[in-house]
Amino acid sequence: MLEIKNLHVKLEEEDKVILRGVDLKIGAGEVHAIMGPNGSGKSTLSYVLSGRDGYEVTAGSATLDGAELLEMEPEDRAAAGLFLAFQYPVEIPGVGNMTFLRTAVNAQKKSRGEPEVSAADFLKLVREKAKTLKIDAEMLKRPVNVGFSGGEKKRNEILQMAMLEPRMCILDETDSGLDVDAMKLVSDGVNALRSEGRSFLVITHYQRLLDHIKPDVVHIMAAGRIIKTGGPELALEVENNGYADILNEVG
Amino acid sequence: MALPKAKEDALSARLAGLPALSGKGWISAARAEALARLQAMGLPAKRDEYWRYTDPASLNAVDPAAAKSFNPGDEAPPFDGLDRLKVVFVDGVFDPQASDDLGAEGIRIERLADAAAADIHWAQGLYGVLEAAGQSPVQRPLAALNTAFATDGLLIHVTGNATKPVALIYVHNSDNSDAILHHCVKLDPGASLTLLENGPAAARFSKVLEVDVADGASFHHIRLQGRDHERRAVTHLFARLGARSELRSFTLTANGRLTRNEAVVDLTGPDARAHLAGAAVGDGDFHHDDTVFITHGAEACESRQVFKKVLMNGATGVFQGKILVKSGAQKTDGYQISQSLLLDEDSQFLAKPELEIYADDVKCSHGSTSGAIDETALFYLQSRGVPRRTAQALLVLAFLAEAIQEIADEDIAEDIRERLERWLARHGSKAGA
Amino acid sequence: MTMLETVDGTEVREGVDRETIETVQAMAGKYKYGWETEIEMDYAPKGLSEDIVRLISKKNNEPEWLLDWRLAAYQRWVKLEEPRWAMLNYPEIDYQDQFYYATPKSMAKKPKSLDEVDPKLLATYAKLGIPLKEQMLLAGVEGDAEPRKVAVDAVFDSVSVGTTFKAELAKAGVIFCSISEAVREHPDLVKQYLGSVVPPSDNFFATLNSAVFSDGSFVYIPKGTRCPMELSTYFRINAENTGQFERTLIVCDEGAYVSYLEGCTAPKRDTNQLHAAVVEIVILKDAEVKYSTVQNWYPGDENGVGGIYNFVTKRADCRGDRAKVMWTQVETGSAITWKYPSCILRGDDSQGEFYSIAIANNAQQADTGTKMVHLGKRTKSRIVSKGISAGRAQNTYRGLVSMHPKAKDSRNYTQCDSLLIGDKCGAHTVPYIEVRNNSSRVEHEATTSKVDDDQLFYCRSRGMDEEEAVALVVNGFCKEVLQALPMEFAMEAQSLVAISLEGSVG
Repeated sequence: MLEIKNLHVKLEEEDKVILRGVDLKIGAGEVHAIMGPNGSGKSTLSYVLSGRDGYEVTAGSATLDGAELLEMEPEDRAAAGLFLAFQYPVEIPGVGNMTFLRTAVNAQKKSRGEPEVSAADFLKLVREKAKTLKIDAEMLKRPVNVGFSGGEKKRNEILQMAMLEPRMCILDETDSGLDVDAMKLVSDGVNALRSEGRSFLVITHYQRLLDHIKPDVVHIMAAGRIIKTGGPELALEVENNGYADILNEVG
Repeated sequence: MALPKAKEDALSARLAGLPALSGKGWISAARAEALARLQAMGLPAKRDEYWRYTDPASLNAVDPAAAKSFNPGDEAPPFDGLDRLKVVFVDGVFDPQASDDLGAEGIRIERLADAAAADIHWAQGLYGVLEAAGQSPVQRPLAALNTAFATDGLLIHVTGNATKPVALIYVHNSDNSDAILHHCVKLDPGASLTLLENGPAAARFSKVLEVDVADGASFHHIRLQGRDHERRAVTHLFARLGARSELRSFTLTANGRLTRNEAVVDLTGPDARAHLAGAAVGDGDFHHDDTVFITHGAEACESRQVFKKVLMNGATGVFQGKILVKSGAQKTDGYQISQSLLLDEDSQFLAKPELEIYADDVKCSHGSTSGAIDETALFYLQSRGVPRRTAQALLVLAFLAEAIQEIADEDIAEDIRERLERWLARHGSKAGA
Repeated sequence: MTMLETVDGTEVREGVDRETIETVQAMAGKYKYGWETEIEMDYAPKGLSEDIVRLISKKNNEPEWLLDWRLAAYQRWVKLEEPRWAMLNYPEIDYQDQFYYATPKSMAKKPKSLDEVDPKLLATYAKLGIPLKEQMLLAGVEGDAEPRKVAVDAVFDSVSVGTTFKAELAKAGVIFCSISEAVREHPDLVKQYLGSVVPPSDNFFATLNSAVFSDGSFVYIPKGTRCPMELSTYFRINAENTGQFERTLIVCDEGAYVSYLEGCTAPKRDTNQLHAAVVEIVILKDAEVKYSTVQNWYPGDENGVGGIYNFVTKRADCRGDRAKVMWTQVETGSAITWKYPSCILRGDDSQGEFYSIAIANNAQQADTGTKMVHLGKRTKSRIVSKGISAGRAQNTYRGLVSMHPKAKDSRNYTQCDSLLIGDKCGAHTVPYIEVRNNSSRVEHEATTSKVDDDQLFYCRSRGMDEEEAVALVVNGFCKEVLQALPMEFAMEAQSLVAISLEGSVG
């Protein structure tokens, strides 16, 4: 599904290199986790994959089912099936959450040459999915993320994911700022979306999210590289011993 | 374009009351050019856009209206306890006895009257130069008049860190004095100076201060405009700021029949910072006008304008402030707030806070409010046993706090707070609010 | 599109947004109303003189007093100078190089009813989407519980083509007709109120209008009457080199209510055309008027060639206690906009509101805002202005809030926000605030910023292209004003916002 090869990235405006050769391959239906200390480049990886401005790719490639992502506009990546759940979801004053969702869903459908969803079907679908995430009708009416609590924002991200039905989902520190109950709610939402044709890349600093969203593969990232890859047990190792041991071990 | 008849006449009358320009030294060219500028503009008139709220008649008049000097009683003069370099002008005339020696670490000071006769002087590049540049897009004829006819002033060249502040003390003695002073301050790259000014200066006072703040230099300015009730003053601050330089200017105005303080600041180098603040308290026949024009001409500069006025018994406050962001001045951060507290029905506040923006990556905002004191807060304090008058003073000080906070020196800020408290104890709205 | 739209006010607008996007896609960014009707016209000779003023008056069969009124205005105008204080830059207007009167030949004999109107004219309005048949307006939504009626006065160049629903309105005592008809049929009302809010001496353009106004709408809502339907006037400039000088007079008697809509379009032409209108609104005790405008005159092309010069004086006088007025304007058209719909809050407890969206793209220039003059006690005003600049456009908010000494305990709140799209345009704010008593509270806030990159990226990462993302974010920025519009207008306005900004990104 997603294949990243030798990805090198620096900041556009400064001479600061952030990613120094990332290699990663995620198969269909797999859940991968990337863990790493602050500043290791985890979030940069998610932004570069989704096409945010301000980064310069100096080498390497990232393909989704063989199509080169890095040359696409952000909206084309989304239409191709990539979804990023933001660490800090953006507030858009004045734009209703529902309007935003429908505009996004139909934009993607249109670019894939599919028919748009009717308003009635859309409404039914949103209400259904919102319910499982405990998002009430009032929240759907409010402007996008404006005045939402941390938990509400993250649930809203998962709702968008559920509505847009991407094939490759990246969750960037989705656990940050969540209490235990909210984390459970969000994780349940994610788990409900797991399927054979859909892959996940879960970026997190802590192991606790991985108790809820069980990964198939865990990668440790440091200083812009993936330095170790293993099974779920690798996450536990980090939980127990911190990053220091692994960093030392790898040198 | 020829001046309208009324302007032509007013100007001729005023010029007839002033001495002819002498033709000596480097300054003669600067004065002649300033006179030409004035003749092209004419004197300000009530119909001019930036004089709609302030009547310039008394500033234009040939002779100043008489004004008695105020006896502050046992209140110590401001900045008294500070280690400073004192320069005293009495009714606009330099007083060598009362002044310190004009010299200190990191700084060279000359009197304009002494230096003007030389053939060449560094001040040639500054005297009247920033004033001339500041005549567009808004005309400031009274500043040009000052450049042409100033009788004295200081030329201060700051080469390093001036350890002592320079304190200008303007004493007012004669009831009919009409003073015109013009100072130039040139700060070399990385240099710093604190300039203190206090006193009413004269029955009518015209002052221009031109400041060139080079890259990385820093200029702090704190001014207390004397408490004479009858005095009139028009002052101009023209400042040019280089890269990473800083300007901080705070003015306290208490009393005075008419005060017009103009500030014209050009941010010409990236990452420069200009903070202008003013607190004005007026009782009765008091008209106070802050007219500020800040131009962002370079990237990533920051400007703040914080002007607060407390008005009672028919006092008038005027604020005209502009942030102009030129094309290319991206990452500008501009903030402006003008607020008035009207303590009775007779007082008024007239404001024109403007933004003019030609760059898109900017953060600019302004706010302006006017209203009475918060009765709920007043009642709350009273219900806790605070007498009404004290409670009111407390709330007034709280209202002025944002402006006073712009003073970097905490001791001076505290001194000013105390002075304001005493002023408020002496003055109250007749409406008993 | 059914269920969503009918749930409640908020969700109705959910449906509108969808319309926006669809409309944008359908139109591909061209000025939709730029076509021209080929029709035989009668012109008065070019230029302005006393004779032309007499001719216009004669064409309208006006009484002597009105001719005198016009001539006095003309004599005054000749001595006036065009104001130049606005932040607008345009070449000098040659007032003698214009036609001041143009009317379709078929209108020479006044049609008695819409059935007699030239089919070409009816077709013009049909093409513009303006219903001149007396039909229910379904608010664009099937299943909407209550289909609504909107009465239309259609003004084509210098004359009113026809007014719909007149009979039904007359039953309620409402007078809605062209002003030329009102002069003939209701001379007392016209004489009493014409020029009483905007006197002929008011300003250069109002004086010009007073001399040469050819037609416009007249509305009278009698005491205690809630106008049974929305009233609207649709202005169409068609003839070349012809100025449009319409005059609208609305009188809302004690306790009455009316919502009035105004729309404007013009063909694409590479010469500039002058539009100098006057709108006067008189609001008596306990009455309320809502006046909404979607101004979509031809804005000129990307290089600033052509477009309407729009110099308009609009003022509402809240004469009685508790009178209320609400101006809502969406200004997307015109090469030059000079317009300050104002509120004179004379009655105690009267209220004025001004909601504005002004979009200037390409080479457009707008200098617009409002005046809130508080004279009565406990008067309230609210100003919400959203300015959007793109391309090389200049957009200025200019406003006055004045609290007179006797306007005790009054309130004003002003919020002026400007959005910049691109680094070649300008956004300016010029408020005048005059507070002459202390029991009144005035608050003014203004911000200027660019379209937020994070918001755009967020939208794009969800699959929207850049223009869609900009349209969505800008519509969000304007939400407060869009919500103040009647629904039919809100829909049109939302799509206009998107269309007006086309080509502003990338």
